[in-house]
Order: sequence, then C-alpha cells, then structure tokens
Amino acid sequence: MGVNGKTIVAAEDRGATRGAGPGPVENVYLPKLAVLDRVQDEIAEVKTFYWHFVDEVEQAKFRAFRPGQFAQVSLFGVGEFPASLPPSPTENELFFTVRSVGSCTAALHALKPGDVFGVRGPYGNGFPMEQYYGRNLVFVAGGIGLIPLRSCIVYAMAHRERYGRLQVFYGARTPSDLMYVRDLKAWEESAGLECHVTVDRPADGWKGNVGVVGSLLKKPEINVAVANSTAFVCGPPVMFRFAIKDLLQLGFAERDIVSTLERYMKCGVGKCGHCCIGVAYVCVDGPVFTYEQIKKLGEDI
Amino acid sequence: MRRGTGFVEVGWEEALGYIADRLKSIRDRHGPDALAFFNSPRCSNEESYLLQKLARVVVGTNNIDHGTGAYCNNSIQVLDEMIGVPATTNSIGELDLSDVIVVDGVDLGLQLPTVGGVVIRAKLNGAKLIVIDSRRHRVAESADLFLQVHPGTESVLYGAMAKVIYDRGLRDLGFIRAHCREYGAFLARLQEYDLWSAAEECGVSPAQIEEAALIYARARRAALLYSTGMEARSRETIRAIVNLALLCGNIGKEGAGIYALAEQNNLQGVCDMGMLPDRFPGYRPVICDEARARFERLWGARLPSAPGQGAREVFGRNSGWNLKGLWLCRYDPVNTALFGDAAKVLDGMELVVVQHIFLTETARRAHVVLPTTAFGEERVSFTNTERRIQLAEKVLEPVHGLTPAWQQIARVAQLMGADWRYNDSSDVMEEIGAVVPFYSGASYENLARDYGRQWPCTKDRPLGTRFLFGEQGPARRFKFVPVPRATSRRAAMSQEYPFTLVLGHSLYYWHQNVLIRHSETLKREYRILLLDYPNGFVEINPEDAAMLGIKDGAQIRLCSSTGRAVSVARVTKEVRRGTVFVPYFVREVEWQMRGAGTGEQLIPVRIEKVKE
Amino acid sequence: MKARLMRSEDLAKLVNAIRRRGYEVVAPFCNKGRDTYYDTVTDENIGRVRLHVANPYYPPKRFVLPPIERLLRVKRANGTYGIEATYEAPKRAIFGIRSCDVAGIYHLDRFYLGREFPDTYYARRRRELLLVNVVCTDAELDISDACFCVCTDTGPAARDHFDLQLMDLGAGELLVVAGTSAGEALFEEPIFTKATQEHVERRRQILSEVRKRFKTTTCWFSATVRYVSQGSVPEKTWEEIGNRCLECGGCTYVCPACTCFTVSDRPTGRDEIERVRIWDSCALGGFTRMAGGHNPRKSVHDRRNRRFFRKLAHYFIQRELSMACVGCGRCAAVCHGDVGMPSVVEMIRRAAALEDKIEPVPADGR
Repeated sequence: MGVNGKTIVAAEDRGATRGAGPGPVENVYLPKLAVLDRVQDEIAEVKTFYWHFVDEVEQAKFRAFRPGQFAQVSLFGVGEFPASLPPSPTENELFFTVRSVGSCTAALHALKPGDVFGVRGPYGNGFPMEQYYGRNLVFVAGGIGLIPLRSCIVYAMAHRERYGRLQVFYGARTPSDLMYVRDLKAWEESAGLECHVTVDRPADGWKGNVGVVGSLLKKPEINVAVANSTAFVCGPPVMFRFAIKDLLQLGFAERDIVSTLERYMKCGVGKCGHCCIGVAYVCVDGPVFTYEQIKKLGEDI
Repeated sequence: MRRGTGFVEVGWEEALGYIADRLKSIRDRHGPDALAFFNSPRCSNEESYLLQKLARVVVGTNNIDHGTGAYCNNSIQVLDEMIGVPATTNSIGELDLSDVIVVDGVDLGLQLPTVGGVVIRAKLNGAKLIVIDSRRHRVAESADLFLQVHPGTESVLYGAMAKVIYDRGLRDLGFIRAHCREYGAFLARLQEYDLWSAAEECGVSPAQIEEAALIYARARRAALLYSTGMEARSRETIRAIVNLALLCGNIGKEGAGIYALAEQNNLQGVCDMGMLPDRFPGYRPVICDEARARFERLWGARLPSAPGQGAREVFGRNSGWNLKGLWLCRYDPVNTALFGDAAKVLDGMELVVVQHIFLTETARRAHVVLPTTAFGEERVSFTNTERRIQLAEKVLEPVHGLTPAWQQIARVAQLMGADWRYNDSSDVMEEIGAVVPFYSGASYENLARDYGRQWPCTKDRPLGTRFLFGEQGPARRFKFVPVPRATSRRAAMSQEYPFTLVLGHSLYYWHQNVLIRHSETLKREYRILLLDYPNGFVEINPEDAAMLGIKDGAQIRLCSSTGRAVSVARVTKEVRRGTVFVPYFVREVEWQMRGAGTGEQLIPVRIEKVKE
Repeated sequence: MKARLMRSEDLAKLVNAIRRRGYEVVAPFCNKGRDTYYDTVTDENIGRVRLHVANPYYPPKRFVLPPIERLLRVKRANGTYGIEATYEAPKRAIFGIRSCDVAGIYHLDRFYLGREFPDTYYARRRRELLLVNVVCTDAELDISDACFCVCTDTGPAARDHFDLQLMDLGAGELLVVAGTSAGEALFEEPIFTKATQEHVERRRQILSEVRKRFKTTTCWFSATVRYVSQGSVPEKTWEEIGNRCLECGGCTYVCPACTCFTVSDRPTGRDEIERVRIWDSCALGGFTRMAGGHNPRKSVHDRRNRRFFRKLAHYFIQRELSMACVGCGRCAAVCHGDVGMPSVVEMIRRAAALEDKIEPVPADGR
C-alpha cells in the first residue's frame, strides 16, 4: 500500500495555504546540540547551567536573542521543557537558571560538564527594550521571578545612557532564597542602579530590609519613579497580584506594567495548544504581556 | 520460562509440555485442589470456557474464579435466588423508554460512561432520575432527586421506601400475586422499617425518602441500576433492590427492570462461562447432583462436587492453605487484588503459569509466561452487561509466534491426555452452545449479523432476547427475600471514630489496568494524581475540613481500631459529610487501615491534623 | 472553476484513474448500520465504493495529523547524539471527503502552515494529499441528525479547498468540479463529458432543496459567536455544561478541526529514543498542569469554557481566517452528556434570552 509518487504538485497551484514555497519547510521541532560548560549552585534546588551550541553557526544565530525570550531545552529520552533566558544579549556566555521540579528539570540537574543536550530557540516576543528608551525602568521581582528579569536589568545597565532611572525592588522568603546574590551585590553597589532587597523572614546575620516586596515600594525614603516609567513584574502568583495592586495604587497605568507569563508548553511554536490563555498563545504572542493585555486575554491567568 | 533469576525464551511445545507435566505432578502428589485457575473479567468467552473445563475435567478441581469474583458474586447469588437469572433483565437502549431511572451507588461517569450518557439523555428527554450515592458524582448533578446516603445504609433506605410504597397502597398486587412467592415473609420484616429512623440512619430527610418511593412506585416503567464492581453492594442491599422492583412489578416489561451493571467488558461472559468456584457454565450449582450428572455426560468425565476456593480465599490474608500451583489468565493479582498480599502467595507456589500481553508484576513471579494475543488479534466473543454476546473479529496479525490463550489452554489439556479438538474458536463456541442452554443459538454465523445477540439466544429465538421475563413462564417464579432491619452495614460509628472511610474509584484509573500505562494521555493524567499527591490522598468534605481546620494539601492522619495511616487531604464537595474517601489505587493507605484484614469496605476512623 | 459531467456508474473508473496516478486512495466503506470507516481501496473492495454513505465517525484529519506521529529519532553514541527527523508523506487521495471535513482540513492548513512557524511534518503530508469532495445530497444516507454545516456555512457543498468535487445530479449524472490543477488534470480521462448551464442550474436547485433537509438548524450559531467573543455567557451556563461533561475527551478526538497534541520521548532500543507527538485534549484535567503543581484550568467548567471559546470566539476566526467548527456534528453524536456544539449553542441562546432587561409593568399600568 502507498506508492510514493514522483509528481509533486507545485505550491502555487494550491494557494498560499499549502506549503510555504516549493521546497520543504524548515523543521521547527529539531533541537540543536548543546554542550554543558559548567554548573553554578544558586539556591536550594536551583542551579545555573552555562552552555554553548556545538555548531558555531547556531551559536552566532542564537546570540541575537532579546531579553524576555525563552528556549526549549531537550533532555533526550526524558522530554523537553521551556527555560527563560536570564543572560542579556550583551553578555558573553549563554546560560539557563532552572529549578528542579519535574522529570525534565531533574534530568538537566543530573548532567555534568561536557554532557550534551538539545536546545532550540529563541522563542517568544521578548521585552521591547527599544520602546522603553528614555523612560525610567522599575523592576519588581519575587523569588525566582528574578530569573527572566535579570536579562532586562543587565541589558538596561549595558545601555545605561538610553534610560532614565533604573530601580530594582526584589524580595524572597528568606535570605537563603535570594537569587543571583553576586549580581545583587554588584547592583547594590552600582551608582547607575537603585537596588533594594528585602526578605519576608530574616535569618541570623541579616542586616537588610524585612517585609514583602510591596513594602519596599511604600517605604517613605524610597521614591518610586512613576511618571514616564515602565514597571516590570515577575514572581509567584500571590506576590504578582499584590505587586500589581501596589503599582496601580502608586499611579502606574495598566499599559505601563509589563510581565512575563508562564505556562505548560510542549512545542514552543504555537501549535500544541497547551500554553493558550484566552486569545493568546503564550509561546508566540507572549510570554511578555502588559497588564492591560493580560486583563483582556479572556481567561484568568 | 524461569531459569534462575531471569527468563529464557523457549519453544511453545517445551513450555506447554512443561506445564502439563507439572500440573500432573502436583495433582498426583497433592490432589487436584492444590491447583487453582483464575482469570480476568476481560478474558474472552472461549478462553474462559476452556480454562474452567481444564480445571474441572482434566485436573478435577473447582478452584476457579475470575479476578473480581470477590466483588460481583454477591449479585449472582442474590439474582439467581430471587429472579432465577443472574444478569441484567433489560437492555441499555430501553432506558430511553423508562419513566424513572434509579442509579444506586455507581459513578456512571467514571465507570460506565456510555451507560451514563444514555441515562443523561433519557433524563433530558423527560425521564425522572434518582441518584442514590454517598458521593456527589457527575451524574448526580443531573439528578432530579439525589439522596446522599451514609455509606452502608442503602438496604435501610430501600426498606423504608418499600414501607412507604406499601403503606400508600402503591404496590402492584396483581403482579405480586401472579409471579411472586414469599411475599408474606417479606411483609413481616417490612414492618420493622419506619421512615423516621431510616432517615436518621441514612442521613437524608424523610421527605426525600418518601418522594423517591413515590416517584418509583408511580412510574409505569422504572429501571434500577447498580454495579457489580469494586464498590460492590452487600447481599442485603441487592436483595432490598430486587424486593423493591418486585413490589412495584418492574420486571418483565420494556423500560423497567434491574440492571446489574458489569464494569468490565466480559464480566458477564466470564460468569456465564462458569469461571466460578460453585457454578458450572450456565450457573447450575456444582453441588446439584442432577446438574453435575448432566455435565459429566456432556464432558465425559467425573466432576468434583465440592465448591472450590476463589481468588479472595487464595489471596486473602488468612489463606494458609494447601495450594501449590496457580494458573492466571490475563490476571495481575499483585497489582489488582486489593484484599491481600498476592506477591507473597505467588512466591510460595511450586508452579505459576501466567498468560498475558504485558510482562506484569505478576508475570515476573511466574515460572512460565505465555504471551498471548490482544483484542483484535483473534476472533473471539464477549458478552456485555446487557447480555449481548458480540463477536470480535480478527483485524490485526499478532506478533509472529503468538497464539491465542484459548489455544494454549486446549494444547495443555491435550498434553495431559484429554481428547480436545478445536480447530477454530468457532468450534469452542459450538460446544458452549451445546452446554449452556441460553447460548445454544449463538453460533458465530448468527453473531456476525447485526451487533451480536442478547441471550437467551436459542434455536427458537435466534435473534436473542431484548428483555427477560416478557412472556409467560412458570407461575410465581420470583421470590421475595426479607431483609431484617438490623443488618445495616453502617460502620459502627462512635465518638472515637466519627468518620467512615470509604474506598472507591478515581477518574482515569480504571481498575489499575496495565493498559493505562501504555497510553500517553492517560498516563499523563494518572501521573498527575501521583505528582500532586505522591503519597496518595484522602478526600474530605469542605465543611468537615473547615470544622477540623484542615486545608487542601495538608497532612492528616487517619486512625481506626485496626490501623493508622498518614496521608494528604484533598478537599472536594463531592464527598459526603461524615465520610472520607480513598481511591483504590492508593494501596498504602488501604493496607495500613485494614490492619488484620477484615476485608471491610467501610472503616470507622478518626481524622487528625499532623503538626508541621 | 471548470466543470465536467460523468456517469455515476463510472465511479470505479474514476477511482482507478486516481490510483493509476500513484495515489493510495482511501474511501468510506460501510460496516453495519450507519457505521462507516475510511479504508484503502483495493481491487477486492473497489466494488463497494459508494457515493452516498454516512460520514465516518473518525474525521480524515488523521491523514494529515496522525494520532501518533514520530518527529525525531535520536541515537546516543560517543558522548553525543545523532538527531534524525523522520518524515512520512504517503501520496494519498481521500475519495468521498465531505464538505465539512474539507473545511476542517482547510482550518488545519491555516493553523499548521500559517504564521511564523509552519509545521513541516504537516506540510509534507498535506502536499501529497488529493481531496475528492462529495457533496451531501442524499438526505437519508449522507445527512445525519447531528449535521449542521448549513449553520457554520461549510456545507453541504464546499465552495473551495478541494481538488475535485462530485455532485449527484440524479438520473445517473454527476457534476464534477475541479478546484485545483491537480483536480483538473484528471479531466483528461475519457469518462468526462461537457457540462452545460442546465447542469449548473440543476446543481443550484438541488442544493437549495437539500439545505432544507437538515434537522439541527441552530441558526443562533452566529449570535453565539458574538456572545462568546464578548465574554457575556454567564458563569452559571458554563457550570451547567460542566455538570453534564464526563471529561472523556471524545469531542476533541472526533473533531476535524481540533489541533492540540502532546510530545513524548520513548525508548526504542538501548541507546535510542524516539520523540513522538500524540493527539491531546483540552477536555482532560492535566492538559494545563505545570510542573510544580499549579493548574490554571482545573475545574471542568473552565475547560468547557475554553473549548467553546477556542471554537467560537471571533478573535480566532480572524486569526486563522477559517472556522474552528465545521458543523459536522460528530461531537454531538459522541458526547455522553449531550453538550456537543449544537446543544451548547442552544444553552447559550436560552441563557441570553433570560437576560431580557424589560422592567416588569406595575399593576396600575403606568
């Protein structure tokens, strides 16, 4: 059964819907091989994985990614999962920061430097950092929500002269849950960035702020830039809701609050349907959305 | 075949020859009752018939059972005793014609969704739907009347309904006089019931019980559905159900009847074929001399007269009894027998033969594993819950070298000296027709037309029988059996143990079916339950949870008089106040709570929060 | 589009002409009652190919989007991996595909081949597919009680997106329309003769008659699109729908326009795995569950809401420029709880009717 015919009907006869051009379309599901360079412990169950593509051409192509994009990481035999890109395109190395929470992420955590895995991407819309030129940027992050925002923060600092005030408000449950502590230290000491860190519950030796992230925004000595500002929010659902409330109260417009949404994804290219929220496919229409867009999606996030 | 700690592939004749030799050896040294033959309610009619024939005729034992025997044999005993036929009396399609449908204790949405669909559509078309269950399941949402009774109190409920019907003069006296006996004895016991105490015991209002009774009794055609599956009803409850149907004359007409729903594809067929320790194919008892003599004539051999041991006796905790060999056809007791430690029992056997399509946990403990064909790879028949014998055609070639289970059984019998000659599965069906009167017209040729035939399918009725007892039969063929008021199974509640622990089903996890693990989407759904609740869960009503200060996902401890278990709370409004529900696949909780293994379905417990 | 005439007794000749051009032809064959299924045409069964049969339960989408499809084969060797994309694109013709199913394939075309990431697996299979559409004209055989293509404007005669279309004009004559050059190429066969304006007129008459023979005419379909798009269906209605849904997933598996899949890696040997994609269903509880436990669409009525939003919301119709519901009625036929598309449209209509905002007239009539 099934004879492979030699007659291939020309694409133009079948209208634009059938095959994009006469040749085969590029296979978007094909992962490219990547090598793990080194692993850095972050907080409990979270590690940063530095890697590069085996093929230099792929490496060069990928470097054009934008802050806020993500990639699909393949652990062959286990599966594939989406991982945010916390490096800024201005940095030298590519890395993921991943928490071990399911079978795929656990498989990544089990890799050793030199091991090979698969990556395809970058996918998603990313943050339109050029649109924010001339504005103040306010970053509000909670817990591992700092991971996707790190890319924007580092990018903004690398293009410091293009932006107004840069403010980072970051909180975690306890001091041992703070992400990217080396970066935080550098940001706190940097003149071009106002970085404020807090923890919900202090531990011995903690000398910094105590309280939820929202409390930072309300501190009398802290002047949050509201006019001509864009606020970036990322964190667990509860923190997210309260942060939005606080920002709106401060006077931010809904279209000036931007976030990155997370969903279960299988393809990353807008076909499998898992990440769809209301009218949007998070992997192609997002994952970056303004709060105004989030409210209009047609489904609760 | 097992060699050392692993398995080696051998040829068919070697394997089957080995089995035949070992069966003979064990029989000669320890007697025929040292061997037992169990199969699964998913086995075909042909392989079931031949397996019980091997056991009875060639080996000489009645140690025969199907995997769910422990649960469904209550229904067989009661229906046989009271109406003479242990099967659903009407057809699924007739539910369209019912005025009233009563669904007792079966979550149709999970267990029999096609029947659930017929019931929902019947209700949308005007039938009145009464659901009786301690759990507010999906079909209950469509009910006109939902009686969320306390588990174990159903027989009291039906007794009270019968009392109401009698007091209001709504019984079908004409039907009772013409067709039923022992009505007097039934009435005598009926006086023990009263609406108010029944309402209190069942946990529903008297008005609801009364309304249910009146709706049922006033209907011209009312159907009563219950399940013979794992959440099996006790004999008292089934007796009470049949009493109610007889009281209102709801047998022997279209759209009425009693539906003893079979939850697996061939549970009905497997029982029809005699995979029972105490009955021949066709349900005649083995202790009945006349029935035995008939089978001795038909099969040409002396037959054992004492009823055998079933799966529950063999795998139950108090087995300690002289069994040396087990033949398991498509049955995986290590995973599915909930009432004991099957693995331990298997490890103590001299011979374990497993026929299956996957290398299950049970198969790993076998001495000989016979891989066999799956659905679609052989031409065999199955009988569904409405007595419909259907022919499944062979549409795929099995993997090279595989043989159907029925052929393997027949070959072993031949190697043990029996003169069995079946060229084709249709030959087996022909013999079944000669031996089981209500299958006598069910040849493959007849079954291949239309969509099978509902038995009785005889030479006189080759098209089968849609509903039973429609025509004239012997006078007074139905029998009331009184159910004393005192025998309510409500777990003895007390201050110390104020909750009832109920074991039951869960969505997407049908009977621990090994097939689920081979389907990607089902596997995902099942895995999620384990990911969300890695150590299982216990479902609790939101009001009870609030009262105890328990949040969803919190750790809780269950304590009973026989054991204790720690698990996680899953708060859902489906569960009745005063009960907690554990799905069957959560083995650990079940084992821990059962303690010495009383086999009880309902266990009184106390719930405690576990301090963080 | 060019049209020709042929005799209905030459049906087998047409099928064989397509087979001679190298196509594996699949057609609907009858089993028992209204049970029909797609099967490959062979010399043995070609005599049983019919023009008028009930539409098979399972839609032809599996010929472009198989229920299980291997995407990659990955072999491990020397500390690295060799990845091989595996393609299968048999040259196939679907003979007797209905207009609703043609619209379904068109929707899949728009979804899988459009926007930024065309799907190459789909593209390859689609390129090798020839669609021979048959117009539903026999009210007894072709049309079932659940069909409502007249409401979604996808039938009974497709206007486009087929290669060839056959329509029974009666008196043993079939009007044959070519939709593409591949279809037109078949007009070389000697079985075709010229069609006249009279035949085209007969076609129009038959179609206007057939449109009246549909039992399920949910003419409220377009209003439902509006209500769903605006998000003005009351929560209570979704709860009602959810209460009848048994979460079996049947609707999504039989829908010609449903597209979701999941991806899984499975071992195929000691050092090899395959990555396959498998049909998935948003009706199932685990569809949106994330690692870590959060499930944004847990309750059954949220999932029902999702399904009908995706099928009906105007946003998606514009996004794909095609309907995600083709009026085939399979979901209605399969659904246990009777919450297929026609019933849901009916329930939304009833809910909307209750929203009437007329104030009660006071007793004194003022």
